[in-house]
Amino acid sequence: MMKSRPMAATLALFTAAGLMLGGCSAPTGGDTGEKKLTFMFRGGEDEKKAYEKAVQQFETENNVDVDIIVTTADQYATKLKAAIAGKQVPDVFYIGPGDVQAYVQNGIVKDITEYVEGSDTIDLDNIWEYGVDSYRFDGKRVGEGAIYALPKDVGPFSFGYNKTMLEKAGIPLPDKDKPYTFDEFVAAAKKLTADTNGDGALDQWGTGLNVQWNLQPFVWSNGGDWLNADRTKVTVDTPEFAESLQWFADLQNVHGVTPAAAEAQTLDTYQRWMKGEIGFFPIAPWDLSTYQKLGFEWDVIPYPAGESGKTASWIGTLGIAVSESTKYPEDAVKLVEFLTANKEAQQSLVDAGIQIPNLKDMAETWAADTSTKPANKAEFLEIVKDYGRALPGGNTYNAEWYDELFTNIQPVLDGKQTAADYLKEAQPRMQEFLDAANQQAGN
Amino acid sequence: MTTITRPRRSRLHRKEHQAALLFVAIPVIGFLLFTLFPLLFSVYASFTNWNGISAPVFKGLDNYTKMFGDRYFLKSLWNTLFMMIGIPVGLVISLALALAMNRKMRGTTFFRTVYYLPVISSIAAVAILWQWAFNGDFGLINQGLGLIGIEGPNWLQDTSTVKPALIIMAVWKGLGYSMLLYLAALQSVPRYLYEAASLDGATAWQQFRHITIPMVRPVTFFLIVTSIIGGSQIFVEINIMTPTGGPEFESASIVWYIWQKAFDNLQMGYASAMSVVLGLLVFTITFIQFRLNRRNQFSID
Repeated sequence: MMKSRPMAATLALFTAAGLMLGGCSAPTGGDTGEKKLTFMFRGGEDEKKAYEKAVQQFETENNVDVDIIVTTADQYATKLKAAIAGKQVPDVFYIGPGDVQAYVQNGIVKDITEYVEGSDTIDLDNIWEYGVDSYRFDGKRVGEGAIYALPKDVGPFSFGYNKTMLEKAGIPLPDKDKPYTFDEFVAAAKKLTADTNGDGALDQWGTGLNVQWNLQPFVWSNGGDWLNADRTKVTVDTPEFAESLQWFADLQNVHGVTPAAAEAQTLDTYQRWMKGEIGFFPIAPWDLSTYQKLGFEWDVIPYPAGESGKTASWIGTLGIAVSESTKYPEDAVKLVEFLTANKEAQQSLVDAGIQIPNLKDMAETWAADTSTKPANKAEFLEIVKDYGRALPGGNTYNAEWYDELFTNIQPVLDGKQTAADYLKEAQPRMQEFLDAANQQAGN
Repeated sequence: MTTITRPRRSRLHRKEHQAALLFVAIPVIGFLLFTLFPLLFSVYASFTNWNGISAPVFKGLDNYTKMFGDRYFLKSLWNTLFMMIGIPVGLVISLALALAMNRKMRGTTFFRTVYYLPVISSIAAVAILWQWAFNGDFGLINQGLGLIGIEGPNWLQDTSTVKPALIIMAVWKGLGYSMLLYLAALQSVPRYLYEAASLDGATAWQQFRHITIPMVRPVTFFLIVTSIIGGSQIFVEINIMTPTGGPEFESASIVWYIWQKAFDNLQMGYASAMSVVLGLLVFTITFIQFRLNRRNQFSID
C-alpha cells in the first residue's frame, strides 16, 4: 500500500495531464486530409459580414476550409499575442505597419514577395503603392524591401464641411483644389460660430478637432514633422511644429471657434457634427456609411495648409499577413490576395461604406460615381496617391515616444502653457522612448 | 507485516485513495500549470528583455532599476494607491446600509436587491454606463447637479476629478457585496448582548460602538484585505472609461500600465518585472494586515 500511493499519484497526474494537454493542442486540420486555414481579424459588424461572405466564396472556389476568428478592435492585440505565445499563430491575420518590424525579426510573418509577384490572381500595379509599401521591410526600415503583408485597406483621413451651414452663413464654398490658409480657415470658422436660436449660448461652431487625430495635417503642412528622415531624432521642438500646435490650441482659446475645452472630446464633437452644429470636421472612409444619412449637405476638401501652402494628411492602413508556421503557405497567400484584391469582396466592403477600394481602377470608378456622397471622393484618392503620409508612430518599433506627446498635452490645449514651452519639455522624454524603441528594434 | 486481514480491507481503501488522488490531482495540476508555472515564468521574464514573441534575453536587474526612474510607473502606483480611498468610504456606507437593512421595515428585500445589482452586473457594461453618466455635457450626474444649480466638471477629462469619478463608481459597484456580508454578520450578533447592554443603561451609540463594531470586525478585516487586493488590480473600469490612461496619466492604474507596456509597447519583460513588484507589494501589505489582526483578535464564548 505504501508503494501504491506514489504510483496512483503518478497515474492520476499523467491521466489529468494527458487530458489537459489533449485539450490544448487541438491539431489544426490535416488529419482529415482537408486543408484548413485560420483567419484572425478584428472589426465591426459590417466588416465581419463582408469578410464572412468573401471567405465563403474563397472556400468554395479553392476547396479550403477557413476558420474565422473575429475580435473587437481593442482585444485584438492581446489575443494575437496570446496566440503567438502559445504557438498557435493563425495562418492568416491582420497586422499594422507598426508591427511589421517586430514580427519579421521574430519570424512570425512570412515573406510573401515571391508568391505575390508571381501571382496570377493579383496585379500589384493595380493596388495602392502606399498600401503595399507599408508592409515592406528590408531588415532596417519599414517601407522598402520584401513584402510581408498586403493591405486590407488604406484609410485616407480627410476633411469636410457642412455645405448647408456655410451657404446659410453666406460663406463662399471652399475650393476643392486650393486649400484654405490657416488664417482663411479661422476667418470662416469665426463666421460660423454663432448663437443661432438666440438663447444666449453658442450652438454652432466653426470646427471641433481632436488633437490626437487631427494635429498631424497642420504640423506637416506647416513644414514641421515628428521625426527626422532616418527616424532617429524627435523633431517636435522646431518652431514650425510649435507654431502649428499653438495655432491648433488657439482655435479654442483665442478664436473660440470650437466647443469649449471641456466639450472637445471626439465623441461630443462627432455627435455635434452629425447634428449639424459644426462647420468643418474630419471625414474618414469608415464614416461614409454613417454620413450618408446626415440631415445636411456636405463635401470633402483638403485640410487647411500652413506655411508650406501644401495640404497634408495621414493614411491609416491595416495589412493581412501570413504566418511563417502555416502548413499551407500557398493557400494562405491566396486567401490574403483574395481578401485584398477580389473584386466582389472589395465591392461589398465599399458598398458597406467602410473603406475605399484597394484596386486603383475600381477606386477611380467609385470616385467618379456621383450617386453617393460626397461629391469630391477624388480627394480621398489624392491623399492616397499624392499627399498622404503614415502616422508618425506607425513606422517605429513601438509608438511609446509618439503617445508621450499627447499624454501631457492638455495644458497647452487649455491655454495654460505655450506650445513652444511644452514641446521643449516633451522632446527629451520622447527622444528617450524613441532611443529605447530603436535599440529594441536593433536586437 | 502486521496482520493478515489488512490487505483484504485495503483494496477498497486503495481504490478510494486512488480515486481521491485523481480528484485532487485535477486542481493541483491546474494550479501547477496555470498558476505556478506562469508565476515562476514571469519572475524569470522579469529579468529579461522580452517582447512577448521572441526569445527572452537575460538582462539581470535592468528592469528593476529602470522602474524606479520611470515616472509613469511611480505615477500609476500613486494613482492606484489614491483610488483606494474608496475602500474605507465604501465600508462605512455599506455598514450604514446594512444597519438600515437589518431593521424590520417594509421593502428591505427590494432595497437589498437594488444594492446588490451592481455586484452581479458585468463590469464592462457598468463602466460604459458610468462613462456616459460622467459625460460633461449630457451626463446624468451633471444634469442632476444642474438641477441644484451646480455646473459639474467634465469628470473624466479633468485631472482633478477623474480619480474621484472612478472612486465613486468603484464604491457604488462594491457596496452591495460589503453590505451583504455586513448584514450576515449583524444578524449573527447574539441578541442577549444588546439586551444586557440596554439593561445596564447603554445608549444606542454605545451599543453600536462596543457591541456591533467589535462583533463585525472579522467581516471588516476580510473586506479590507480583499478590497486592497482587488483595488490594487483595478483595470477594466480604467481601460474602458479612460482608454489612454486619463488626462495627463491621472487615472492610469498600475495594472493598466503593465498591460499597456506588455501589449501595446512590446515590453513583456519590463511588464513582468512590474507585476512581480506589484505582487510583492500586495503580499507584504496582506502579511502586515494579518499580523495586525492577530493582535486584535478576541472571541466570545
